[in-house]
Amino acid sequence: MSDKDRIASDRDCGGDVAAYALGALDEAEAQTFRAHLQECAVCQDELAAFEQVVNILPGSAPAYRAPRRLRRRVMNAVAEEPRHGRASAPRRRALPRPVLAFGGAFALAVAAVVVVLAVGSSGPRSPRVVNAQVVGSGSASLRVSRDHAELVVHRFQAPPAGQIYEVWLQRGKTGAVTPTKALFSVNDAGDAAVDVPGDLHGVTLVMVTREPAGGTQKPTHPPVISAALD
Amino acid sequence: MFRPTLSRRPPRPDLSSLADEDLMARVQEGDARAFEVIFDRHADAAFSLAYRMCGRRITAEDVVQEAFLSLWRSGARYDRTRGGVRSWVLGVVHNRAIDLFRRDSVRTSRDVSDEGAVERMAAPDSTEGEVHRREDASEVQGALQDLPDDQRQVIELAYFGGFTHSEIAEQLKLPAGTVKGRMRLGLTKLRISLGDPSGALP
Repeated sequence: MSDKDRIASDRDCGGDVAAYALGALDEAEAQTFRAHLQECAVCQDELAAFEQVVNILPGSAPAYRAPRRLRRRVMNAVAEEPRHGRASAPRRRALPRPVLAFGGAFALAVAAVVVVLAVGSSGPRSPRVVNAQVVGSGSASLRVSRDHAELVVHRFQAPPAGQIYEVWLQRGKTGAVTPTKALFSVNDAGDAAVDVPGDLHGVTLVMVTREPAGGTQKPTHPPVISAALD
Repeated sequence: MFRPTLSRRPPRPDLSSLADEDLMARVQEGDARAFEVIFDRHADAAFSLAYRMCGRRITAEDVVQEAFLSLWRSGARYDRTRGGVRSWVLGVVHNRAIDLFRRDSVRTSRDVSDEGAVERMAAPDSTEGEVHRREDASEVQGALQDLPDDQRQVIELAYFGGFTHSEIAEQLKLPAGTVKGRMRLGLTKLRISLGDPSGALP
């Protein structure tokens, strides 16, 4: 790549950040940009800054009172629609059904999708954000503090009907994959934040797979999100 | 003489005194009263954004209703790390309006022809939070007005109009790269003029 090409590429990259933050990329462009975002720390920083600006743009709109009838409509609808439970962390229920075997094929799949992930410059015991590899559209990151971790998912596809996302932990490079109680779906915008329970000491990989509602004890699908810890 | 008060149940908490984040914890458990407080706090801002985007009162009401109900139905857990509840609610409203534009092509009919039927927010407001929000809003409005017209135009078409950069380029008869460049310049200038935007977030 010549210097001229590199400059042009950089310029497009920056232009995409602003358009993405404003929601002005079409879906195909947005997907391409999200894939690029996983690997470009400069774009990640710039996007974070632009999103802060975009978040306050609604403040420039003329202020109106919401009509009273709107409140009645919404509250009436709420009264008629009891909640189905928590979307981001539903309660695990016992699963008497058999689960599929989990072995080498899954390990290969994990190896295929996990990449070396950028970890913040702070020390390993400091709070940090680990960008996760995502299969398909959307993004995910793991926010790790000394004794707590939270998986944050953004613009990610919802699981198929009757299924849910389940979080798994792997200890050691070839160690066993253990289930967690963290089961979640995403909201209409494709966002979710879920606590990753349990001790992360020795955990090298945090993964998410789609599983039957209620979760399983062994993964039945390859991971759709993978975050490597050092 | 002090006499202990006999009480069979603890007093009901005054939900209106709870922070948004605490209310959201209750909403996730299906607490409709907590949801009602969240609605009351943010419905005006949600409606103002939807009305700015849709230009029609009825459509704006539909967008806001759909947005709040989706929050209720999904029991979505909002992401504290990406800003406050208001930003989150407004993000859902924005996405809903964009979905509507791209699904139904309703943008062509947008105008503010029925503005007279909507109650404009009165200027003074008693709550400290609203006063701060007005100050923030005034600051954002000022920063936008200070942008060069061509940069403000592409930002407003994209964010409030829901147009893609390609659609904007077509409308303005500009190369796509120019539109994206103006977006970037405009957002960069806004960021500079607003200082640390994170401090201005509601």
